[in-house]
Amino acid sequence: MYRKQVRRRRAVLALLVVSSFALLTATYGQRSGGLQRGVSAVFGPFQEGADRALKPARDLVNWFDQTFEARGQNERLQDEVEQLRSEVAAGKVALSENNQLRKLVGLQRAGELPLGFEPVTGRVIGKSPTVWYSTVTIDHGTSSGVRVNDPVINGDGLVGRITSATRGTAQVTLITDHTSAVSAMALTEDQGIQGVIKPEVGNPDDLILDFIDSNQHVRTSQLVVTAGFKARGLASFYPYGIPIGRVTDATIAEQEASQQVHVRPFADLRNLQFVQVLTK
Amino acid sequence: MIVTPRIMVRIVAIVVAAMLLQLSFFSQVEVLQTSPDILPAVAVSLGLLGGSLAGAVSGFAIGLLLDCLIVEALGASSMVLLSVGYLAGVYRERFDVTNSLVPPLLCMGLTLLAEASFAALQLMLGVDAPISALIVRDMVIKSIFAFFLGVPIYLGIRRALRPALIEDQAVRRSAQPRMMGA
Repeated sequence: MYRKQVRRRRAVLALLVVSSFALLTATYGQRSGGLQRGVSAVFGPFQEGADRALKPARDLVNWFDQTFEARGQNERLQDEVEQLRSEVAAGKVALSENNQLRKLVGLQRAGELPLGFEPVTGRVIGKSPTVWYSTVTIDHGTSSGVRVNDPVINGDGLVGRITSATRGTAQVTLITDHTSAVSAMALTEDQGIQGVIKPEVGNPDDLILDFIDSNQHVRTSQLVVTAGFKARGLASFYPYGIPIGRVTDATIAEQEASQQVHVRPFADLRNLQFVQVLTK
Repeated sequence: MIVTPRIMVRIVAIVVAAMLLQLSFFSQVEVLQTSPDILPAVAVSLGLLGGSLAGAVSGFAIGLLLDCLIVEALGASSMVLLSVGYLAGVYRERFDVTNSLVPPLLCMGLTLLAEASFAALQLMLGVDAPISALIVRDMVIKSIFAFFLGVPIYLGIRRALRPALIEDQAVRRSAQPRMMGA
């Protein structure tokens, strides 16, 4: 009797392990299977309800954490404010010049959003529990016009893109996910230095601008925006000009050796509450 | 554990509630720049209360549901959590859970194992980006959270599954008052 039980237990365990391997083999690299879409669609309303119900408790815990963190950030922010003040002055001059030039060439004023996109504001209702998958779920899906590969931003900058969508929910893969790669440009006074923004897994405050031309040198505090390339029928999912972050570490040795610099993203990807999907 | 249809419904409810709580609450709060992960602790608790088979099946189901909801390749989380649930069940079958520190310590140790196994699995599958050393810090802090969260999770699940637990039934039977001469 006992042996029979042990045999049955081993058989079930073997079946589960084999099923895991089979599922992994069958679905690896595919982000949106029928089963996943179905389960997401069923759980979407429950997730949304749980998200709303748990928001006060979540805010309380985050408030405590942020209060402790804010103490250390105070000094750094004061330095940053001084630097930004001088940048704002320079920016205002550039903006005025830009407006005049736009009028001259007859271009329509684009506003803050890239042209040709309609923003859909979504609330984050779920987040992946592991740092290996940087994804969040939002409460808008195909019924609101959200489509796979639509870029996602928030008030600070680029957040990611839609990788899966059901009628009522959509999955956003953040720019800190290891599968993410965004064609980007570090803005200098006269030109842009192109590269690809990739994450450093496990550190959402650090991105890497990779594959930059080693003959051109990127400097610390330069702005990095999406490059939005279009060539031979291929086009980036992200339109030109969405701010991504600021260069924080750009040693010449690292640029020459590995053609990369470090960038701190503008968007706080740890604490996302609302995002905007740029739909076409 | 005696698994009746009613107990099965309770286990499913525990798994679904834990999943919603994880995705809508724990994944979105940050303490020491790390979000707690309660799912390995839930698999450990079910394994400790139900044995290796119940632990493995629950772990597999939790992992499958998680992969479906975060829309990632199916099977990776299932494999890790089924191992965690199975190991907790094996511990329960070989040793008595007499010390109240055993469940939180197992939650901590097996959460660390789950995080390390998941990282190893991801590295084997191929990660197309550099990896920060902060990953190790994240794993350690997650396992410390699991120690503290393990106590309420284990007690809560134990309470929810009390009618199915053989030891508890024996204790309750022996604790019933006996009338003299009855």
